[in-house]
Amino acid sequence: MGYQWDFATVLSYWDVLLGGGLATLRLFAVTVTLGLGGGLVMGMLRHAGSPVLRYPATAFVELFRNTPVLVQIIWFYFALPVLVPFDISPFLASAMGITLNTIAFSSEIFRGGIQSMERGQWEAAKAIGMNHAQTMRRIILPQAIKRMLAPLTNRGIEVFKMSTLASIVSYPEVLNQAKLIASMEYNPIESYTTVAIIFFVVLFPIVQATYVLERRFGKSD
Amino acid sequence: MSDPGLLRLIADLGFLLPGLLNTLKVTGMALLFGVPIGLLLALGRLGGIRPLRVVCAFVIEFFRTTPPLVQLFWFFFALPILINVEMTPFIASVVTFSIQSSAFFAEVFRGGINSIDKGQWEASKAIGMTRGQTLRRIILPQAVARMIPAFAERSIELLKTTTLVSTVSFADLMFRANDLAQRTFRPLEVYSAVALIYFTVILLFSQGAGAVERRLARGSDTMAR
Repeated sequence: MGYQWDFATVLSYWDVLLGGGLATLRLFAVTVTLGLGGGLVMGMLRHAGSPVLRYPATAFVELFRNTPVLVQIIWFYFALPVLVPFDISPFLASAMGITLNTIAFSSEIFRGGIQSMERGQWEAAKAIGMNHAQTMRRIILPQAIKRMLAPLTNRGIEVFKMSTLASIVSYPEVLNQAKLIASMEYNPIESYTTVAIIFFVVLFPIVQATYVLERRFGKSD
Repeated sequence: MSDPGLLRLIADLGFLLPGLLNTLKVTGMALLFGVPIGLLLALGRLGGIRPLRVVCAFVIEFFRTTPPLVQLFWFFFALPILINVEMTPFIASVVTFSIQSSAFFAEVFRGGINSIDKGQWEASKAIGMTRGQTLRRIILPQAVARMIPAFAERSIELLKTTTLVSTVSFADLMFRANDLAQRTFRPLEVYSAVALIYFTVILLFSQGAGAVERRLARGSDTMAR
């Protein structure tokens, strides 16, 4: 008890934290874009009629949904270099792990959204001469996206939090930088509290937005 | 691939088993504390006392929006300085994942309770039940059945998230795998085996949860009729 909180030492390293924050954002931008984009493709593959497409897609999704993302990152960082002739950087390993994990989870959201559309819409679109891809792009996705907004935003929040796992393979994102400050200044309380506050401040408004989305478009997560 | 080293390695994989038990131990303890705390947080957030509602909502949102790894570091490295306790990796892990999962379980409880028709509260009040009685006798028994899928999903998420405890040197499956990979210089085999172990355990869990869910769905069907 009676501990003197001192955030000044943390804030004097603002440039270190800022660098970490930018690295976090870089990892987030790459993984959320590729993850959700890939998830859309994977969701459509799982919805596809042909078993040649459906089975491998299902196997991929189940594999990445049922293993911890940390195991995936560590696997890409330590195990994959045994198989490939080049080095895997901390960024690449983290980005691969988080992206593939996000593809697996978001593809379930896309698949659920696509399947939630009434069958009659497919038939009506076919009746007026649209093919499968046209129907998907013009009719199904524009409607399904509304129902998927809240769960997809939740996925994005998870991806943002997951970026901290990159610190385990020493990618200099914000938590890794805080660890560095804590070890130099012996101030783990302030360093880790600062990181917690940063995440809370960034994500709290977004979480509130998902509540609004859920109320407006129906709960679906 | 048929070198004697591989046979040794298979024997070495037995080294991972106590790690798996520790993983299950942390998950079980976190569930044991996390579920009741989650229920309390949900009731606080839904209850009539305004300051309590704000506090519970804040705790839930704070632990949902901050990364579990940051929380774990905080409880392991920071908390022992603030309050004079000896922090072991195991205690830090259980504390972190109890609170972290309770925030998510609270949302599951809240969703379940809110999904019950308001008329049931009014009917119970009409026949003289208090809020607590209504909740215990009428609302929760029905809400819990609806919450099973979300509850199972959260528990599986929890099991997967406990891999983080390896970073504070708690000897879970992941930690023992790191150890083994370093000693044997066979990261490919070790980490692939670990992924397979997690995959198998989690698949068994989700299949089990699915079976419970189907049984309960059948039960409530016959009751409705």
